[in-house]
Amino acid sequence: MSDELTVGLLGAGLIAGVHARAYRGCPGVRLVAVADPVPGKAERIAEEHGARVVPDLDGLLAAGVDVVDVCTPPTAHAHAAVTALAAGRHVICEKPLTRTLDEARTVVEAAETAAGLLMVGHVSRFEPDHRAARDLAVAGEVGDVRMVTHTTASALPGWSEGGWAADPAASGGPLLDQAVHSFDYARWVIDSPAVRVHCMAADSGAGPTTYALTTVRYQNGAIAHVECSWAHPPARGFKLGAEIVGTQGRLAWSYDHMMGGVLYPREGDAEWWDVLGEHGFVLELRTFFGAIRAGGSSPVPAQEAMESLRTALAALESARTGSTVDLTTWKPR
Amino acid sequence: MRDEALGVAILGAAHTGHAWAYARALTQSPHARVVGLHDPEPEHGRWIHEDFGIPLADDADALLGDPSVGAVLVCSANAEHRAHVELAASHGRHVLCEKPVATSIEDAEAMVAACKATGVQLHVAFPSRFLPLVRRARAAVGEGRLGQVIGLVGGNRGRPPLPPSYPDWITDPVAAGGGALIDHSVHVTDVMRHVSGLEVTEVSAEAGSLLWDREVDDAAVVLLRFGNGAVGSIDPSWSVPADHPWDHDFYLRVVGSEGSLDITDGAAAVRLVSNREGAPRGLREVRVGEDPDLAMIEAFVASVRAGEVQEPCASGEDGVRALEVALAGYRSAAAGSPVQVTAASRAPTGAPAPVRDGTSD
Repeated sequence: MSDELTVGLLGAGLIAGVHARAYRGCPGVRLVAVADPVPGKAERIAEEHGARVVPDLDGLLAAGVDVVDVCTPPTAHAHAAVTALAAGRHVICEKPLTRTLDEARTVVEAAETAAGLLMVGHVSRFEPDHRAARDLAVAGEVGDVRMVTHTTASALPGWSEGGWAADPAASGGPLLDQAVHSFDYARWVIDSPAVRVHCMAADSGAGPTTYALTTVRYQNGAIAHVECSWAHPPARGFKLGAEIVGTQGRLAWSYDHMMGGVLYPREGDAEWWDVLGEHGFVLELRTFFGAIRAGGSSPVPAQEAMESLRTALAALESARTGSTVDLTTWKPR
Repeated sequence: MRDEALGVAILGAAHTGHAWAYARALTQSPHARVVGLHDPEPEHGRWIHEDFGIPLADDADALLGDPSVGAVLVCSANAEHRAHVELAASHGRHVLCEKPVATSIEDAEAMVAACKATGVQLHVAFPSRFLPLVRRARAAVGEGRLGQVIGLVGGNRGRPPLPPSYPDWITDPVAAGGGALIDHSVHVTDVMRHVSGLEVTEVSAEAGSLLWDREVDDAAVVLLRFGNGAVGSIDPSWSVPADHPWDHDFYLRVVGSEGSLDITDGAAAVRLVSNREGAPRGLREVRVGEDPDLAMIEAFVASVRAGEVQEPCASGEDGVRALEVALAGYRSAAAGSPVQVTAASRAPTGAPAPVRDGTSD
């Protein structure tokens, strides 16, 4: 392996574009190939970043990329990740790990025996706000963490190709698309397995189960409270709020506080400058490439992402049945 | 009584903070006059007596029987509310009762019945209804500006009510009926009902003694289902540490089919850092604007004068509804499963309970 790491993007949607920009902040990393089944999509990213277009995953593998970055809808994650690992490549797999737990197990098993590393795109762990808060918590600044509140609310996302995000069978709705970040982050900060989940959800114009409120109880007694929404008006934008409460203090932040600048043109809408930008993605990818070069372990292993997926699926199940899910025994149907 | 100030007796001041604040509001109101305070524990009423010159009365019956008393403020320990409200009702006095209205539905319904039987008003002290932002939210939702309500998220977090600032009973599971969940969730439940006009039909909660090592829960999250299918959650935790810039908050977010609304009463504040000798450390947010306690007291007095409970005062029934949700939350947290709160599952109200002399319990 030369010093340079080459990357192939599978899928050329919104998050692929963000990753493509973030590679530029990763020294010694070059995007070389992009594949997407929708005509024209791969070209847009490839042209901007000096990569070439290939038809599919086989094309990426044939191009000899060191890393396959799986940015497809979640229903296609498992096949792509397992195939790329089997071909001896490193894999970045967007979240949620997969759409189902059965699929997730295949990825976890493949990752355990593969020569390559697999990292799941739980970018919250690398966002400057989330990471700083977690570092402070780990340093004991708030004592023992006993409560995490995490809320993400927006309108129905407009970025999905053919609207797959709005199809619960494909996306799992905001619980799998958005709240899976919250479950992953809360678990990471609380540092104890989730044992119990209850979710109450409502339908909205964005579709079934598009407004959901979830409680998670952890083995160490801590509680997480997760709100996720696609039910809000588009004008409200994407809002995130978080709190970490411990026995000796409290951490809190929200995206409202993270707007460091605003530009008002004489005509048209205001332009808000958020201070986080895409720093989280750059750190996420840099950390992964660093782990590859150092021969280290995955910064976000499939096993941990599977646990976060399981919590999100349990919340969906609770919302559907109205019952509390005991995660110590739960087996999804 | 028409042209003079309403005479008010304070029966129990064990809820020292609220008793003091409501006593101050009664003192400030030109329409009320505090006749006296009865609490067997002298420490409870000490600051009310010293700060506002309110006389201390040894005998509750004599105080309530004073012909100049028209209404009673009950701020005793939660488990004592029933005895005190029934005593006030037996004297024919209108009542403003501290929240939670009681520690059991049986007690709460008996209080409602006792007041009904003697024809006196029973109000429950939910000052959050009188926050100007809550009033605007109720109007906006009432006018249909959010369309059909889909979700409500609210919180009322505060410092742990620990000694020496608070009496021990507030963290006693029997005297208080629980911890943070019963103490704070009732405010938020009430405002959610008040703003949305919806009733809670199902509750699921997590709660525990996670922060301050007391016998009662200090951290909790309550999930709610409303009659129209909307969902909600409440954070009532005592999760605000010492030296935090604010000592409590109150917020509500509502999303509906046609819009969303976020309010937080913490917005009405100025930021203060003081190095003055003896001042609290660090940044403090000092509340500004209308005092909801005073607005609540004025509305209570106006209701008594008008002979009917006026908007936006909370009635005894409102107190029962909020208590039902809190108690369902405790049952859910203990069982690890959701609890239905439907009209059918409510204990039958039945005939009004006989008026008791109030010296028992």
